[in-house]
Amino acid sequence: MESKSSENIPNVDQERMEKRREASQWAVAWRRFRRNKAGLAGLFIVLFFAFIALTSPWLAPYPARSYQALYEGAAGQSPSLKHPFGTSNSGLDVYSEVLHGSLGDLYVGVGATAIAVLIGIAIGSLAGYSRGGLGEVLLMISQIFYTIPLLPLILLAARVFLILVAQGFGLTLILILLGVFGWSGIAFVVRGEILRVRELEYIQASRALGAGRSRIILRHVIPNILTPVIVMATLLIAGNILTEVVISFLGFGDVNTSTWGLTIQEGYAYIRTQWWVTVFPGLATLFAVLGFNLLGDGLSDAINPRLRD
Amino acid sequence: MENNSANLLEIKNLVKFFPVYTRGILLKRQTGNVHAVDDVSIFIGRGENLGLVGESGCGKTTLGKTLMFLEEPDKGQIIYDGIDMVEAFRSKNVEEMRRIRHGIQMVFQNPYTSLDPRMTIYDILSEPFAIHHNVEKKEWKNRVYELLKMVNLEDYHAERYPHEFSGGQRQRIAIARALAVDPKLIVADEPVSSLDVSIRAQILNLLTDLQQKIGLSYLYISHDLSSVRQITNRVAVMYVGRIVETAKTDEVFTKPLNPYTQALLAAIPIPDPEKNRIKIILQGEVPSATNPPPGCRFNPRCHYATDLCREKEPALREITPGHFSACHYSEKFV
Amino acid sequence: METLLDIKGLKTYFFTEAGVVKAVDGIDFQVGKDESVGLVGESGSGKTVTGLSVFRIVPPPGKIVAGSIIFEGEDLLKKTNEEMRKIRGRKISMTFQDPTTSLDPLYTVGDQLAEVIHEHQKELSKKEVWEKAEKLLEMVRISEPSIRVKEYPHELSGGMKQRIAIARALASGPSLLFADEPTTNLDVTVQAQVLDLIKDLREKQKMSLVMITHDMGIVAEITQRVQVLYAGMVAEVAETHSLFRKPQHPYTEALLQAVPRIDLRKELRVIPGNIPNLITPPTGCRFHPRCPYAKDICAEKVPPLELTDIGHFSACHFWRTLSLSGA
Repeated sequence: MESKSSENIPNVDQERMEKRREASQWAVAWRRFRRNKAGLAGLFIVLFFAFIALTSPWLAPYPARSYQALYEGAAGQSPSLKHPFGTSNSGLDVYSEVLHGSLGDLYVGVGATAIAVLIGIAIGSLAGYSRGGLGEVLLMISQIFYTIPLLPLILLAARVFLILVAQGFGLTLILILLGVFGWSGIAFVVRGEILRVRELEYIQASRALGAGRSRIILRHVIPNILTPVIVMATLLIAGNILTEVVISFLGFGDVNTSTWGLTIQEGYAYIRTQWWVTVFPGLATLFAVLGFNLLGDGLSDAINPRLRD
Repeated sequence: MENNSANLLEIKNLVKFFPVYTRGILLKRQTGNVHAVDDVSIFIGRGENLGLVGESGCGKTTLGKTLMFLEEPDKGQIIYDGIDMVEAFRSKNVEEMRRIRHGIQMVFQNPYTSLDPRMTIYDILSEPFAIHHNVEKKEWKNRVYELLKMVNLEDYHAERYPHEFSGGQRQRIAIARALAVDPKLIVADEPVSSLDVSIRAQILNLLTDLQQKIGLSYLYISHDLSSVRQITNRVAVMYVGRIVETAKTDEVFTKPLNPYTQALLAAIPIPDPEKNRIKIILQGEVPSATNPPPGCRFNPRCHYATDLCREKEPALREITPGHFSACHYSEKFV
Repeated sequence: METLLDIKGLKTYFFTEAGVVKAVDGIDFQVGKDESVGLVGESGSGKTVTGLSVFRIVPPPGKIVAGSIIFEGEDLLKKTNEEMRKIRGRKISMTFQDPTTSLDPLYTVGDQLAEVIHEHQKELSKKEVWEKAEKLLEMVRISEPSIRVKEYPHELSGGMKQRIAIARALASGPSLLFADEPTTNLDVTVQAQVLDLIKDLREKQKMSLVMITHDMGIVAEITQRVQVLYAGMVAEVAETHSLFRKPQHPYTEALLQAVPRIDLRKELRVIPGNIPNLITPPTGCRFHPRCPYAKDICAEKVPPLELTDIGHFSACHFWRTLSLSGA
């Protein structure tokens, strides 16, 4: 190996021919994520549930909320070949309900989170960027929303809604409520990230080069703050699913659409004798929430802003 | 309007304050100001390298940022190449603003946060072209390779990401980015402080080479006086928001006329055990910029302080030709 | 001179996901009684890790994998944690680079000093402990110690915090102090104050000092002997005067020429390349890829640390034939 007393790094040719691994943020993060077994497990679980949710209209042997089993004289039966998860007293095929329920719960979970993320990014960005009054006011609003207890609020709203409109909550309405009241966590994270990134030198360098505000926000700020938001969103989905299940279980949910909570609620009274009606949707909830949590943790470990070796 | 004066940049009575808030019950209220830059006047000639030195809180970084309009000045004038910068930005004169953004660029201290980690080197170096539309798209690649070469890097480095490079290399990329708009003046804010000692010379020599090759001017901001000695033509010493001494580099270092400068120079250890010097150990600490002491800001720590120093703040005045100092007794040190 | 600390063949590795980082890869290091020794190097040289190894506080995934550290006749690496606790802070002390993070923001200055005093001198009464705390503050030239003692770290400036950290380190009168870059984060004029204080204290307390630094100026000012580290190994050991006047290792020569001075203008020498990767360090002599004098043998064989003159050692194959220039 020869050394040269020059300004350049020695062995320039060797470096050029060295096989380089793809080094973008995402590639590095993916490689790191791949090694995290828990995260991978989470990803598989999430993909699994997404799959069955989307194919449930075709995959499930019985349509949603179908009490057909009652007419077939097969109500209240323990798991069998025809009804792998058994049937409820009212004639529901638990297996079908679990499949349909996955669509319902994912709908709420993902939908509510999408709304929360949009609102959270909007408010968080404004709060992070504005210097002075507006930022303070938005921060206070976020803090107020943060302290509102979500579950009691929705239960109360459902009650009032029932009295006023003589109708229970629809799933979409629950989704909207969860989104509209659940954005504050994201807003805090976004605001914090913007405060951090705003003063970083590469942002100032872009300004010094003459870049306009929109360019800086779109090209420099947002890509650099997305990662904690993605992680939070994943965990938020898990939380929203769980909240929905609790709402339905308590009887305040949508009685016309299949959700796990609804099925659990229906079988709750008979839990001693017909355990399958509560246990299977309960397990589904458990795994779904677990899956999103593991995925979120895995992402968080992999997409670590610490970039240096 | 062509400007034929010798000076590329002139700063006159520049003031930049930062408000200080305390938290009330609901809102915060302003309780004071940090006098970051307090009536500073300096100039930089064409092809000149002016060193700006001082300890923490003296305002040198703020001065650098303000002159680039990364912070808006509260008072004073900044004239770049004949253009009144404050007026240009206030009236949103597009042509003048463009000339300013092309003319003055900055190299930052921290090589790890001055490059966007999500962009490749090619993206980073071509961003100026995307912003200003001054280079045709098909020429971008060549220009990027040219820039890399100017800082002694290779073209295949363009596909890589910042985290694949060492601190010294990143700093060179930052310099290349500054060069992308063909600037006349580069504000270098502590460009080598975060780098290892054996790497610093690479960057410092690069800056000097570029100056000779393409006639750049620099404002070299640093707390490391040793490097300032090597690469600057003139030096300005700042203390708590003011300039306390300025002159040709060799003059300031061999015959400082301001007690603060003297203490500063005496405090720096020399890498030579044979050298014996008179030690000046100051009392106290650098004062807070929110509440500077009355009179001369250095008086609480100055060995020579008199009543005059405690009452009246000395103006920056010419003691010997070209050598300015803000001290009532500078003549005594000549 | 009597040897106080004798480190032989120290190897401390970090077992990370990316590979094994050989931070310290075979270092010999001695400190005599009442001696001031500099441990000089840039980042990745292993100077801080060496200090941490002596105290056995190397953070995971780091582990000391080989060597011996003899202090007062006993090998510190063979001691139990209990025994080490009696030595840390009492016989050997350390101050760290960032005074802001080395002091706990939740406790007053007095509390933190009292904690250390009490830890090693349990027989003192509360009143005596606090009196001693104030005396310590006086010793490090902090004005109005009775007021300061009740203040919290964030109320104090960087220079004061570092002096308090020094006071805390000296509370039990150790015979050896490791100062890891004590002035790097401080302003220049404050740096001078702290260095002057350290010099003074060392003489008064008859203490040995290991000054871990990258600043050759500090080395020239405060040390009697110097050890130059590069990439986890020893490059050169010598008395300070000899090192600066007649270095015997190309890295030392390069370093001295690359460092600017305020008292004269000089051409700054560029050292090409970068600090090497410690997971896959260069074969043979670790400096060879950047060394202007390197020959084939430098890439093949690790140069042994050889005696070149009285008290002067160099780890270079060609110290005999090279005539290197000093500061």
